[in-house]
Amino acid sequence: MRELLDRITQNVHWVVFLLLEVLSGFMLFRFNHYQGSVWFTQANMVSGKVLEWEAKGFQYMNLGKENAYLTRQNILLQNNLNVLRHELAELKKDTSVTQQYQTDLLKNTEMIPAQVISNSIRQRDNLITINVGSNDGVEPEMGVVSGTGVVGIVSKVTPHYALVLSVLNSRSSISCRLRGTEYFGYMKWNGGNPLQVSMDDVPRHAKPKIGDIVETNGFSSLFPAGIFLGRVAQIHNSEDGLAYSLEIQMGTDIAHVQNVYVLKHHMKEELDSLKRE
Amino acid sequence: MIVTLLKRLYIVLLLVAFQVLVLNHMQLFGYGTPLIYVVLLLYMPMGSMKAGVLLWGFCTGLLVDIFTNTPGVASGAMTFAALIQQPLLKVMAPRDAAEDITPNMANMGKWNYVRYMMIIYLIHHLVYFTLECFSLYHIADAALLMVASWVSSMLLALLLESFRKKK
Repeated sequence: MRELLDRITQNVHWVVFLLLEVLSGFMLFRFNHYQGSVWFTQANMVSGKVLEWEAKGFQYMNLGKENAYLTRQNILLQNNLNVLRHELAELKKDTSVTQQYQTDLLKNTEMIPAQVISNSIRQRDNLITINVGSNDGVEPEMGVVSGTGVVGIVSKVTPHYALVLSVLNSRSSISCRLRGTEYFGYMKWNGGNPLQVSMDDVPRHAKPKIGDIVETNGFSSLFPAGIFLGRVAQIHNSEDGLAYSLEIQMGTDIAHVQNVYVLKHHMKEELDSLKRE
Repeated sequence: MIVTLLKRLYIVLLLVAFQVLVLNHMQLFGYGTPLIYVVLLLYMPMGSMKAGVLLWGFCTGLLVDIFTNTPGVASGAMTFAALIQQPLLKVMAPRDAAEDITPNMANMGKWNYVRYMMIIYLIHHLVYFTLECFSLYHIADAALLMVASWVSSMLLALLLESFRKKK
């Protein structure tokens, strides 16, 4: 009897080992599963706070860069505004329709400003943590953009924080199109350079050119149509040779993004229920 | 007993904070992020309770996981490395050493200690990167990532060792 007890105490570490490994495995698979536990991630209260302090500290160091980004974006927008104004003046007769269209587009999208408190680009599946959560009206499946383009999609939320599936994630694919055409595709990241993503299955007759703008197409309810994604950098043949696969230079440098907006889409439920039917 | 416990807890918190706040922003050679928290296992003295070592390893890993959004990866790898630590130490320690030596360069001999470190790190990294890249199709990338991280972690751990000796 005593011998048996000794045996058991001597080998108890195997039991502990198995238990802990099973627990790790459980967490691993649960998290990778679509709706895993959010509490073992950066979005929980304690780690969220720590990372928020850290991010605040680093923000000061990056203010210069952030300013440069904003200025560049400002110039770009002003340019666009000028062009649009010009065109509007030329198309005087359509004014009312155009205006209505624009205001309609914006009316359906409410923006929640947020700040990035943690970010990664080195992993295969990168996630971003932002400092707004369900208390601020953020829900899973909302789009996140910055001044320079699309950043990602909200995947999990806690009351004060949200976990965003970055564009740089093997699980993220954003439906997009070439500006000025209706040819669409899906933007994907294949790892490696965080500024380079790809858009597959572009038909050959779409005739993409290097430098063409890629934007969201509004098929999903996450992003309204027309949000900047990037520019075509290289054009390759797809593996079957029937279509093009475009390499896209991202408009947003995810590594440096700090101020973002979560897009709230009022029409989302309507659109989703339609899709279900 | 309680003093060692608190001391160890302090070391864990220090290591995790260093890992999360400093090292995770670092990519040596453009690839490898050094993982410093593994040294906690290196310091476990011979004759520690095996289940205790496992639990320390697991909890440290879990803390790191929570801060890096990789639930189960570091904790699994740390548990695995923790299982190896005691038997490995028994083999690597000098014959005439005391029953409860604390592993360090002076006690184990320089080269012996480095080898001990390399093996524990290698095991940890093997498990860590296998788990992290579970769904990965770029095996070569993952291997490169692992080797780079292994090398940088070792360098950092050795650097830390020199500080430890002074104390």
